[in-house]
Amino acid sequence: MRMLRGWLVRLGSLSNKQRKDKEFDEEIESHVQMHIDDNVGLGMTLEEARRQAMIKFGGVESTKEAYRDQRGLPWLEMLWKDIRYGARQLRKNPGFTAVAVLTLALGIGANTAIFSVVDAVLLRPLPYADSGQLVSLSERGPDWSGGSLSYPNFIDWKNQQSVFERFGAYSGNNLTLTGAGEPVRLGAALMSAEVFAALRAQPEIGRVFGEGEDKPSAPPVAVISHALWQNRLGGQPGIVDKTISLNGKAYTILGVMPEGFDFPYKVDLWLPVGPSSADSNWQKRNNHPGLYGVARLKPGVTLEKARADLDVIAARLEQQYPESNKTRGVQIDRLLDNKVGNVRRSLWILLGAVSFVLVIACANVANLLLARAAAREKEMALRAALGAGRWRITRQLLTESGLLALLGAGVGLLFAKGVLRLVTVLAGESIPRAAEISLDPHVLLFSGLVAVLTGTLFGLAPAWHASRVNLQGTLKEAGRGATSSRTGIRQGLVIAEVALTFVLLVGAGLLLLSFHRLLQVNPGFAVDRVLTFRINPPEDKYQTDTQEILFCQALREKLRALPGVQAASLCSQTPLHEGGWDMLFLIEGRPEPPPHLQPSLQVHLIAPDYFQAMGIPLLQGRDFTEQDNREHLKGALAANAWGAGLNSIIIDEEFAKHYWPDQNPIGQRVRIPFGERGEQPVVTVVGVVGRIKENRLSDRGGMEQAYFPMYQQPLRNLVVVVKTTAEPGAMATAVRQQVSQIDPVMPVFGIHTMREIRNNSVAPERLNLGLLGGFAALALVLAIIGLYGLLAFTVTQRQREIGIRMALGAQRIDVLNLVVGQGMRLILVGVVIGLLGSLALTRVLASVLFKVEPTDPLTFVTVTVLLCVVALLACYIPARRATRADPMAALRCE
Amino acid sequence: MVSSMSSKADVWQGTLALMVLKTLERAGSLHGYGIARRIEETSAKLLSVNYGTLYPALLKLEQEGYISSEWGLSDNNRKAKFYQLTRAGCKQIEKETEDWEQMTAILARFLNPKIA
Repeated sequence: MRMLRGWLVRLGSLSNKQRKDKEFDEEIESHVQMHIDDNVGLGMTLEEARRQAMIKFGGVESTKEAYRDQRGLPWLEMLWKDIRYGARQLRKNPGFTAVAVLTLALGIGANTAIFSVVDAVLLRPLPYADSGQLVSLSERGPDWSGGSLSYPNFIDWKNQQSVFERFGAYSGNNLTLTGAGEPVRLGAALMSAEVFAALRAQPEIGRVFGEGEDKPSAPPVAVISHALWQNRLGGQPGIVDKTISLNGKAYTILGVMPEGFDFPYKVDLWLPVGPSSADSNWQKRNNHPGLYGVARLKPGVTLEKARADLDVIAARLEQQYPESNKTRGVQIDRLLDNKVGNVRRSLWILLGAVSFVLVIACANVANLLLARAAAREKEMALRAALGAGRWRITRQLLTESGLLALLGAGVGLLFAKGVLRLVTVLAGESIPRAAEISLDPHVLLFSGLVAVLTGTLFGLAPAWHASRVNLQGTLKEAGRGATSSRTGIRQGLVIAEVALTFVLLVGAGLLLLSFHRLLQVNPGFAVDRVLTFRINPPEDKYQTDTQEILFCQALREKLRALPGVQAASLCSQTPLHEGGWDMLFLIEGRPEPPPHLQPSLQVHLIAPDYFQAMGIPLLQGRDFTEQDNREHLKGALAANAWGAGLNSIIIDEEFAKHYWPDQNPIGQRVRIPFGERGEQPVVTVVGVVGRIKENRLSDRGGMEQAYFPMYQQPLRNLVVVVKTTAEPGAMATAVRQQVSQIDPVMPVFGIHTMREIRNNSVAPERLNLGLLGGFAALALVLAIIGLYGLLAFTVTQRQREIGIRMALGAQRIDVLNLVVGQGMRLILVGVVIGLLGSLALTRVLASVLFKVEPTDPLTFVTVTVLLCVVALLACYIPARRATRADPMAALRCE
Repeated sequence: MVSSMSSKADVWQGTLALMVLKTLERAGSLHGYGIARRIEETSAKLLSVNYGTLYPALLKLEQEGYISSEWGLSDNNRKAKFYQLTRAGCKQIEKETEDWEQMTAILARFLNPKIA
């Protein structure tokens, strides 16, 4: 405490030095005078008294110096002096300073940007209290994982487990809000009351729902998001206990969650899952209604223990309910891993790549400093001769490089902002937690540390050199020739730059090739001139299936009548979507496999003309027509069970090949084992269509694809697809008008062209390529600048030697060879090292590459050629200058 | 820290501050020259105070808040800077005295093993 006070006082006394010096002079003066007085009192003469007093006092100047050192903070003053001197040096060489700062800004800025992404997405804990204890739960099978839970399984797990403090489940839903301005589609999460408790999430105002409201017969209640409250519902605290109309039903608002509570993702409201669980489908153990688990581990319980505990329960259920649960296990992951696991690898790869860029930038600046050190050799020698210690000189030079690094970091922050914007554009929605990315103090600290580290890194070599300067030699010599060891270091730096650049270029090349191959994949549908949008006929208005089917038919008529529309249809889900809807199926007339071996198909419910609108080829049989409706039921009202109205199916070519390789699939019958046996729908194959890419362009294999007539089994979440004759985006307004003519309060949302959907589906690959490509380009530019700089410098230094060679008869071509040869030697060594490095490192890319081997020879050869050609150019310019050396001038100098 | 006069003992590092504080405790308010004289007299002229050390030491004590200073007039009407103890300084004397006594006790055991 006292010491701190002392430091502060000393810091404060850095000001007003002259006045304080004067005061101490006076104190000494009075001291000596008193001594003289005393001496005179003892009988000495005045002269003798003064002499004795001065002898006793000793060295006045050294006392003053000791006093000054104690008064201020000498090292701080020294540092300040170094900084001012360094700043003066930098100001005196604006060209050098600009190049160095800019180079560092690129390196540090790019690193800052990528680190801020890594930090926000991977490193920072989720925004829940003690979030390390949170886990996600899903179902898994022998060769798949991440499946949704069936409600009865969830209940059994919950009741039998002993490892979780809280265990809840959630699922997504969409609802229409009416009575608060324009009708609008809201994203909602159905959650059990335990989810709030597990997350330890507190509402901003009001309360969240409890167990009592999370029951089948409970009155409808909702918790709303901060954004919905503010934007749609007035933002007044009085909102609690008010009601809102969702899908035509009145829900009482219990509370408002604070901003930033985005569980399970960004939604507008949270409803208790209890009322839905009464649905007979939810009670089926083989139905998986998009339900996922989230739980908080009890204190002291490890993830492994929880996994072991739940495995036992799953095994028990497997025995108890083999029909539905055979081979079904529990998948437990940390909630953070579950959320960001898919991007973890690419983000670490990007951070690794960007750190290469920083190293290259450092090498370049070190090179610049070394070149400048040659010019400053005399200055250093002079300082050393005047008594500056080795450590003193080193410190001076390190201060200079630290200053450069900090300037670089400052400018780099601006650059980082730009890179971050690029990241958000390229990433689309492919990065989870993207909203949390920012240049916050955490990140600023990181770039500060990076700056200090880089400053030391690139400043050390020149400083070390300068401190070992050979006094006599340097002062005598007229600054001729570079010290050989310094040239050695500079060559080493350039080689390292080339090697690292090679690795980055290979990485970028592989990703580019992979991306190209990905975009060349035939998705199985037309990408051009297709507009899609979503609608949800609300249950209160379209209560029966018939009403909804009538709406769909009317909409299709309206859209088809629109000029510029070639075809219009509806479907349950466009291709290249997340997740999917799958069901088991059986081939009629063939032996039935046990439940866990039954195959699955991807369900698509479609209206007529879907294949035409989407450009999916019809290979055999026919498309669905308006007549594929419920007439065949002959009024039998068993239509409550799902699929009861189905009687036909269209399958994809792989499905047909797989099950009827030598037969005509048309007319074959397929059973969907859904519901009680006897009530299970049996459908007849009426057509075969081309296979589409279901989830991603990179899909390989996957489930059989099946299409059912929507007019036999309507659904609420509809996608409308419109094939246009012109640019589809321009049709959006016209399409909206058609919808509002049929139903003025029907919200239209999620308007996208198929091209947009295709492009968004490759957003992760685009991001990887864009960033790694950018980094590789940056690295190439920096490395070339480094190479050029080194050669230009040596040419200048060897001008005399070259002049003499030419005077002795060397031809221009010999000189060219000399310089270019020197450059190319460095390149070749760098390329060989880079090649070996790439062979070792590109393996990490294997999982993000599509149809490209990490050791793709074409890429390696291309990169080698590219790098050599560009490097040759960089060598050629200084080489040509060398040939212009004037032999006479050189001789005169000698 | 060290007096150059060979016949007189050196002032040990760290002990000068305590001597200054004790001197001020006894004398109340005193200028630098007076402090030096008092220390030398108290030591029965066995010690000689080096001013190159004394003044930085006074400054350090003042920076740490153990003493304070103000300009005033000496006995023979000379302008001089007078130092005096602060409350923190009084406490520091107690603490340092304790430390010092403990130290000498330990040392005594080495010098005279019979006590142990």
